[in-house]
Amino acid sequence: MTAVTDVAPPRRRPVARAVEGQELALVAVLAVLWVALSLGTETFLTSSNLSDLLYSVAPVALVGIGMTAVIVTGGIDVSVGSGVAVVMVVVSKLIRDGGASLPEALLVALLIGLALGVVNGVLIAFGGIHPIIATFGTLNLYRFLALRLFENKQVTGVPDTFAGVGGGGAGETIGVPNAWWMTIVLAGLMWAYMRYWATGRHWYALGNDPAAARLAGIQVRRRLVAAYALTGLFVGLAGCVLIGSGGLVQQNAGTGLELQVIAAVVIGGTSILGGRGTVLGTLLGALLVGTVTSAITLLGWRSELTELFIGLFILVAVGVDLVRERRRRAR
Amino acid sequence: MTTTHPEGTARSSSGQPAILRLTAVEKRYGGVHALRGVDFELRTGEVHGVVGENGAGKSTLIKIIAGAEAADHGSIEIDGQPLAAGSTTSALGAGIATVYQEPQLFGELTVAENVFIGRELRRSGVVDRRAQRDRVLELLHRVGLDQGLVDVRVADLPVAEQQLVSIAKALSHDARILILDEPSAILTDREIETMFAAVRSLRDSGVAVIYISHRLDELAQITDRVTVLRDGSVVASRDTATLSVREVAELMVGHALGSGTADRSAPEGEPVLQVERLTRQPKFYDVDLSIRPGEIVALYGLIGSGAGDVVRALFGIDPADSGVVRIAGKEVSLRSPADAVGHGISMLPANRKVQGVFGTKSIAFNISSGHLKMLSRWGIWVDRGRERDIAGDFIKQIRIKAPGPATRVDNLSGGNQQKVVLARQLVERPHIMLLEEPTQGVDVGAKDEIHRIIFELADAGAAVLVVSADLPEVQQLADRVLVVRGGTVTSEFHRGARAAELLAAAAGDAEPTGERSGR
Amino acid sequence: MTVQTNSPERATGPDKPDRLSTWRRALDLVLSERVALLSVLLVVVVGYFYLLGRQGYLVAPYDTDYLASALETLVPLCLLALAELLVIVSGRGGIDLSVGSIVSLSGMAFGAMVGLWGWAVLPALLVTVVVGAALGAVNGLLVAYLGFPALIATLATYYAFGSVALLSHDNAPISTGPIQDAHSLTQAVSVPLLGDGFPDLPLQVATFLLPVAVVVYLVVNRTSYGRRLYAIGTNDIAARFANIEVRRSRFSAYVASGVLSAVVAVVTVAQFASARPDAGSVGSGMALPAITIAVLGGVAISGGIGRVAGVIIAALLVVWLNAGILLAFEGSDGSQFQLFALGALLVLSALLNAYSVRRGRGTG
Repeated sequence: MTAVTDVAPPRRRPVARAVEGQELALVAVLAVLWVALSLGTETFLTSSNLSDLLYSVAPVALVGIGMTAVIVTGGIDVSVGSGVAVVMVVVSKLIRDGGASLPEALLVALLIGLALGVVNGVLIAFGGIHPIIATFGTLNLYRFLALRLFENKQVTGVPDTFAGVGGGGAGETIGVPNAWWMTIVLAGLMWAYMRYWATGRHWYALGNDPAAARLAGIQVRRRLVAAYALTGLFVGLAGCVLIGSGGLVQQNAGTGLELQVIAAVVIGGTSILGGRGTVLGTLLGALLVGTVTSAITLLGWRSELTELFIGLFILVAVGVDLVRERRRRAR
Repeated sequence: MTTTHPEGTARSSSGQPAILRLTAVEKRYGGVHALRGVDFELRTGEVHGVVGENGAGKSTLIKIIAGAEAADHGSIEIDGQPLAAGSTTSALGAGIATVYQEPQLFGELTVAENVFIGRELRRSGVVDRRAQRDRVLELLHRVGLDQGLVDVRVADLPVAEQQLVSIAKALSHDARILILDEPSAILTDREIETMFAAVRSLRDSGVAVIYISHRLDELAQITDRVTVLRDGSVVASRDTATLSVREVAELMVGHALGSGTADRSAPEGEPVLQVERLTRQPKFYDVDLSIRPGEIVALYGLIGSGAGDVVRALFGIDPADSGVVRIAGKEVSLRSPADAVGHGISMLPANRKVQGVFGTKSIAFNISSGHLKMLSRWGIWVDRGRERDIAGDFIKQIRIKAPGPATRVDNLSGGNQQKVVLARQLVERPHIMLLEEPTQGVDVGAKDEIHRIIFELADAGAAVLVVSADLPEVQQLADRVLVVRGGTVTSEFHRGARAAELLAAAAGDAEPTGERSGR
Repeated sequence: MTVQTNSPERATGPDKPDRLSTWRRALDLVLSERVALLSVLLVVVVGYFYLLGRQGYLVAPYDTDYLASALETLVPLCLLALAELLVIVSGRGGIDLSVGSIVSLSGMAFGAMVGLWGWAVLPALLVTVVVGAALGAVNGLLVAYLGFPALIATLATYYAFGSVALLSHDNAPISTGPIQDAHSLTQAVSVPLLGDGFPDLPLQVATFLLPVAVVVYLVVNRTSYGRRLYAIGTNDIAARFANIEVRRSRFSAYVASGVLSAVVAVVTVAQFASARPDAGSVGSGMALPAITIAVLGGVAISGGIGRVAGVIIAALLVVWLNAGILLAFEGSDGSQFQLFALGALLVLSALLNAYSVRRGRGTG
């Protein structure tokens, strides 16, 4: 009897990959953009522009590090913008009125961020609430908290305690903002954690198949809370970076941050359905978003075009990813 | 067994010691007597096949060995020591590992990570990656997988290799007994050879393997002994070499003739459905069939035979690549359910939970969901009164046990849910009725009810095509049985054919009999 | 191989209340039937603020006139919440984050037609609706036909449409004469037949909200399309076997969302007498409160469940609660406490959803 023929198309031997295809594509796109912009404008490749770019991307990238883990578990956190506002108002007042030193203020920022993240994690992991709903809720609650703490006026005269991670000259080391150095280091640590540590890999398993993960002995709830709590820590850090050289902290701080972060994560190749994605991709995605923003300003185009391009990039990145996954599954 | 497979070195393991022994094991589930006084012995270094029809007790036996269930009476001993009942941890600890049909793996993680996920090897708190990797390399070698795959994403591997990873994972528990549940169900022939090689090498290294399969032809190739279960008892436990496929089939179904086949008059007239050379690679190819009005034809085959894919192609869910379908003589194209319904074809899907019911909705909603245009004035305005009446009628006619048409469907028992889905197919009397596993997971009463409905359908002139792996059902319902194996129709039988013959034809007899022999 | 067992018949309906008191039964009902719960809360909230007003704690009286004027904010919120109802019910992670941007962009289109090219309101309204439908169709194409996750697709179009809105007319609002005149569409009018005794209602409640809400209610509950929508949201594989065109129905939900957003755009332009390019992005955007109200109203994020009545009462609850909060607090404290109320309501209603799903009652 003739068997059902193996219609296996000639397949490439699967190769263990250190870097995903999407990331390579992003590096290529970034490289092309940067080259084009350096040639096309006189100001792009200047150190002041580049350091501005890196400084402005840093908060998005920092929060993105945590958000990568959250989205890998199949969740999402839209409350990060409001969380950043809470951190900023508390910490800026602390250093202005309470005379707190850098380590003290940093610790407070991290603790607040952590607390906010843990609340999200608990609502989702133990309360059984869908992540988008829970974090929509905390988005409002945290924004309320922040506004109450602002007491109806922006915080002025904030000292430059955090200038070391700020946007000015004091915040740079060999021309690159310290905020960016910090981001790279932390991103590297997180990348390693998510690639080599068992509990980091558990996030992927959890995002792939929560039921099977539980059966395999993975502490699903703990891992979920950890992802959101970590994001909270990064929210704290981002708040410090945004305070930077001090001066002014406005009441609408952090508004819209969550969407930029999600855009960066998604463009970076992390699937919104969970189970896939890396921090490296997020960094590249954040850089891409930042590059587009900078480019539009330098080219003298209307600033409103930024968002249009971000939207298009999201569609292209996710579209490519969808096609690739579909082709893979058909094998 | 009388097959010609030189690699199939079935050995007589009578000299080896028993590693696992079950004695007088009994198990009941409510009213069902799943296992009656079963004695079972597994020796080290043997591949022991366990076969039996659906409901014969195979899966209960396996669950008891693996610790997922506890026996009501009887004992289990491993190496002469009693095994704690009903505890998967004890079973795993004693070295009993199970590999199920669907690989329970995480596609995004690598092979190495999958093997130890959730139970990572640690050294003073930190994961000992090197020890893990070494262990995995060793396991890959044991199952015959290329060691270079250790860091490859599982989703990038073909199904056969994924299954070998599952086996490696099972072995990582230091398994001395490996239970393989229908391992070849999802594999192609070439892949099965790979799996066989792995199983043989494990056997040779001292692992005892329990091999559960419906595919009787595989038994000769891979097993050393075979135990046949029927109705919860062991009817035979012999060396493979002493059995033929036909004998195994007879043992599985007993010598009784087809039970209670209905007395039905032969259908006459021109075929209403004619299918020629229907093909959808790699699921099925060159399928021919024809059905006359009033006739019930069964496509009988094991899981993975392709029978279900044929009806799904006829309903337009996964359309065929090539071939001709004629309805009432006219050639038609069936590329979508809309096409099929337009030609008077209706289908009852196999998996009611995933493909059939709208669980949170009412019976009325479920029944009317397939006929919204018909039940609406001007095609838009749903006639709720009529919907309720129709639902109420069906509840009475097919005896759906529910308080009323507004009852939420996921509050009903499996059999009643199935009736609701069936009712949906019957609202507009179909000319051609396709059914896939119509009584799977359904209690005996509902099963009879559903069969009654099928007979009524045929009597009223519909052409009925039933896909079923349930042999008694096939014998009961079908005027003609088309046996499907490996993606095509291999033989044909008429009503009254002996169960053992049907089973043998479907499960892998090298010399199929029947009125039409295969290719 | 399955072991066939006789699974016991599970009866439906609440437990036999032999010894349960009527209070306990009422409590059970309220907790499991979202519409009942929301109605009770509505009465509690209105009653509470009314009493506060009588005791002089409020800046202005919380009376029927005030409540009627507060309905001005009900119209856009309720319509967008209904839009979210449609896409969320359609299942497969359905959601529409772009409604605010569709409001902005179609609002600018309306503004251009009426304010710059001198069209009459009615034809401009019709074309605006078509614009909204087209924008919604982009979402529908991405989600239903190309398989993009809805969250991502509508996030991208949120950016893209919002951007185009800002680019049109150079990021400046259109407030020319005809637009100012259009404001008359939204002034408060006295209700015919009920006359003086009854407070004046904003006109758009009657001309926009009521008819659209009725149409949505009828479509969802009485038409075959509505059934298809709930079917695909409950189980789109079973829907396919039931010969339902899954992709087309899901696509239409997003088109409908675009249409509703366009209606909101027209109302907003008229209300503020100005077509603003960022109309849909004020605060945290319009999508957020819309989704909140939908979830509060009992719409299940997983799809297939949600009632128009629930959404409408939830919208009323939020609007009148916010109105009360505005009076109870001074200055901008009011708008801040509104945020708190919204967030708390969302979290609590989601916890309630999760709890009742665990108890096997569904979400009402």
